Amino acid sequence: MAFLTLTDISKYFGGVAAVERFNLDVEKGEFVSFLGPSGCGKTTTLRMIAGFELPSSGTILLDSEDVTYKAPNQRNVGMVFQSYALFPNLTVGQNIGFGLQVRKENEAVIKARVDEMLGLIHLEQHQNKYPYQLSGGQQQRVALARALAIQPRVLLLDEPLSALDAKIRVELRLEIRRIQQALGITTVYVTHDQEEALSLSDRVVVMSQGRMEQVGTPFEIYNYPRTQFVAQFVGQLNLLPITGLDLAAETCLLAGQTVQFEHHQSRQLSEAPRLAIRPEEFRLGALEGCNVLSGRVETVMFLGAVVRLRVEVGGLLFSADLFNERNITPPRVGEQIEISFPVHACWLT
Amino acid sequence: MSSKQNFAVNEKRDAPQARPAPLPWRHWLGVGPFFLFAFLFIFLPSLSLFIGAFQDASGAFTLKNFADLSRPEIVDAYWVTIRISLVTAVGGGLLGFAMAYGVTLGGLPAWVRTALSTFSGVASNFAGVPLAFAFIATLGRTGMVTLILKLVFGLNLYDKGFSLYSFWGLSLTYLYFQFPLMVLIITPALDGLRREWREAAENLGATSWTYWRRVALPILTPSILGAMILLFGNAFGAYATALSLTGGFINLVTIVIGSQIKGDILHNVGLGYAMAFGMVIIMATMMTLYYLLRRRSERWLRP
Amino acid sequence: MAAAMSFLPNLRNLFFPPASSQAKDRGSKRGASWFWMAVGVLYFVLPLVATFDFSLRARKGVLSFLAYERVFKDPAFWKTFIFSLEMAFFTILVSLLLVVPTAYWIRLRLPKLRVIVEFISMLPFVIPAIVLVFGFIRVFSGAPFFLTNTSFGTNVLLVAGYTVLALPYMFRAVDTGLAAIDVRSLTEAAQSLGAGWGTILFKIIFPNLRVAILSGAFLTLATVIGEFTIASFLVGINAFGPYMSLIGQNKTYESSSLAIISFMLTWAFMGLLQFLNRGQASSSLAGAH
Repeated sequence: MAFLTLTDISKYFGGVAAVERFNLDVEKGEFVSFLGPSGCGKTTTLRMIAGFELPSSGTILLDSEDVTYKAPNQRNVGMVFQSYALFPNLTVGQNIGFGLQVRKENEAVIKARVDEMLGLIHLEQHQNKYPYQLSGGQQQRVALARALAIQPRVLLLDEPLSALDAKIRVELRLEIRRIQQALGITTVYVTHDQEEALSLSDRVVVMSQGRMEQVGTPFEIYNYPRTQFVAQFVGQLNLLPITGLDLAAETCLLAGQTVQFEHHQSRQLSEAPRLAIRPEEFRLGALEGCNVLSGRVETVMFLGAVVRLRVEVGGLLFSADLFNERNITPPRVGEQIEISFPVHACWLT
Repeated sequence: MSSKQNFAVNEKRDAPQARPAPLPWRHWLGVGPFFLFAFLFIFLPSLSLFIGAFQDASGAFTLKNFADLSRPEIVDAYWVTIRISLVTAVGGGLLGFAMAYGVTLGGLPAWVRTALSTFSGVASNFAGVPLAFAFIATLGRTGMVTLILKLVFGLNLYDKGFSLYSFWGLSLTYLYFQFPLMVLIITPALDGLRREWREAAENLGATSWTYWRRVALPILTPSILGAMILLFGNAFGAYATALSLTGGFINLVTIVIGSQIKGDILHNVGLGYAMAFGMVIIMATMMTLYYLLRRRSERWLRP
Repeated sequence: MAAAMSFLPNLRNLFFPPASSQAKDRGSKRGASWFWMAVGVLYFVLPLVATFDFSLRARKGVLSFLAYERVFKDPAFWKTFIFSLEMAFFTILVSLLLVVPTAYWIRLRLPKLRVIVEFISMLPFVIPAIVLVFGFIRVFSGAPFFLTNTSFGTNVLLVAGYTVLALPYMFRAVDTGLAAIDVRSLTEAAQSLGAGWGTILFKIIFPNLRVAILSGAFLTLATVIGEFTIASFLVGINAFGPYMSLIGQNKTYESSSLAIISFMLTWAFMGLLQFLNRGQASSSLAGAH
């Protein structure tokens, strides 16, 4: 039996569905991310687990206990907020110890736990500082320690990194993962940043307009998106109109050139199916056993590790990302090129 | 080679032209009138009172004026003024806080908030002579509330020792502009209480009461005290309301100073200056306190 | 079925903001809020009702607007009111001319003066009006000014005194106005497009400060129009405040009608201020009591 179970959770705000029929099992020690654009219901779902919102229908089971309507201060669930939400009138140490003090733990226990938490986040020397004296990254680490100090059954993180600088974000991301694995704590993480979700999680829940689009490992989500929304929201995707579709032969025409694809029977096709290819699947030149297109380079954008081309094939434009290599000069604008991609790398939607 | 040198020289010569830094005296021209005004109409009058407080009738240096401040009627004037300021600051502060709480966190509908902010703007500025008239029509001997209490409830306020023209009557009148002022000052502070703090506290197991005791009240305390200090100062310097209400029969510092300006009732103008100087000292102390409290709460609440 | 199930929690959300999720103490909290609101409203309304009622009783036995009629027919009413309006006008003009360039300049070129200018603009809070006018008389009645000898002189002093009173909130209004429009970038943008200082001030800065300036002006108007303390010592019953006070000593019903008129004026000025400040942090704090 799963450790945290959400069954048929729905939430309406004034008749508008914020979350609809949300079902999820989270195993003990698992790291699950809710990924989606703003307004997709991911934060609302998280807040229902924390108890700040009550579901319009459905149940939430935590460690076999029904907590659906339990007050937030009875749940023993740790939460980290986007805006840190540190108490400005308390020091770092007092913030971390707050939850234990509320539980009337004795002073020695509190002190020991605070020290332990400070060690965990590497902020031992800042114990007596006030939140305003810390940087954003430090504040968020304190918020994490504060949530963990109560030894919560589940750790909830609501876009914890989105208020921080890019560099700190990556640093803290690694640290969150390290701490989560060290403690083996069940974690639900809300984000709109796919890189965060993919790099941190055991499983990712992609959400859109209050509904779950797909649940799976980061590998599955990225490589086998089950809906067009997932395919487009996670990673870059070329969606190209096709003609001359032959499902039996698994071929179609792309701007007059024949393309071979892999088709799974289970996949539902839309009215006017399009061919989906990720930009990074392209290779320069005509490779053996691959689909080969010839086209004209429209733009070349040098991004560092990647060179992004816009290639025009018979009036169709698509993006192709080539790995940068020092000894290979990227094509020039206007150049006529041949470009290849593997058969298994493209699919119909 | 030589062209390079030329270029360097040119660059040096051109630099000041490209970025014309205004001359220092022009810098000061923009703020000159302000400082001149402040010197003439704030600094000079204050300094003159300050000097006057140290002079006797013939203009010689003396400390007697300050010694005279301990005369019973003067001490009494200060004491009454401080008490009335304190009572109305605390009373107005509490009522204003309760109302501001109602519209920010107390769950009252949004239109109440809009109405309250308009009304507070008006009422906090409705003071002086007309306010005194309004309270005479309300709580004076033949005032509406006095009559209603007498005719409907059989309660004769004036028989019970109440008088509008006394300490408590004046306090009730001051409250009319004090509590709306509190609403105006404290509402932003209540808005500054972030929802996440409450949620974080609840999340960590705190009850509503614990949250208020450990987080919300400590955060608000500097703002509340600061606001009450402003209220205190507001009542402390009030003159027109008290004068028109009591006709000068209540012994407030402002009233004594006012009579001193009209005629030499203290038989000693230097004592008048010393009293005025004493007011400034008290107000300055209050404002310093206010400043320190505000800095503290701003430091905490900096985003 | 699903719609019906979601109905109740919806209502709950409508009435109880999700700030607190503890349902049990919300009802009593709202009850208490309404109670204190009622106390405040009663405190606010009762004196107005009483005064209005009183002002209608000038004619024995019937309710009439006789007291208002008498007030409006009194030439002294109009004379003093117009005088105070004029004084308010000059006060606003002088404060703007002092405050706007100063606030602008310390933002742009002399940020190190900010502390001093802010300090000075807060000083009127420390110096009560009665003390200020006491000092004015001591300084300006003698040599070399002799300002109290002529009515022009006392008018100048009155405007100066009001300007001092208005300084804190005028400065705050203008300064927050400037903060909101990022003067530095606007000025630099205008300069880079070739504008001179005159163009910058009158075409860019002043128009963008319109709301701030107008709110400062209305606040000044509301406090100055019936001001008593300074006016009574400098210009006596030439001004509206002392005139009201005089009426109060002699005529009972007229004084009530004056209180109502004065209240309507305050309401009008503050209403305009609120209207201007829609959606902005209001700076309607003044104090000349």
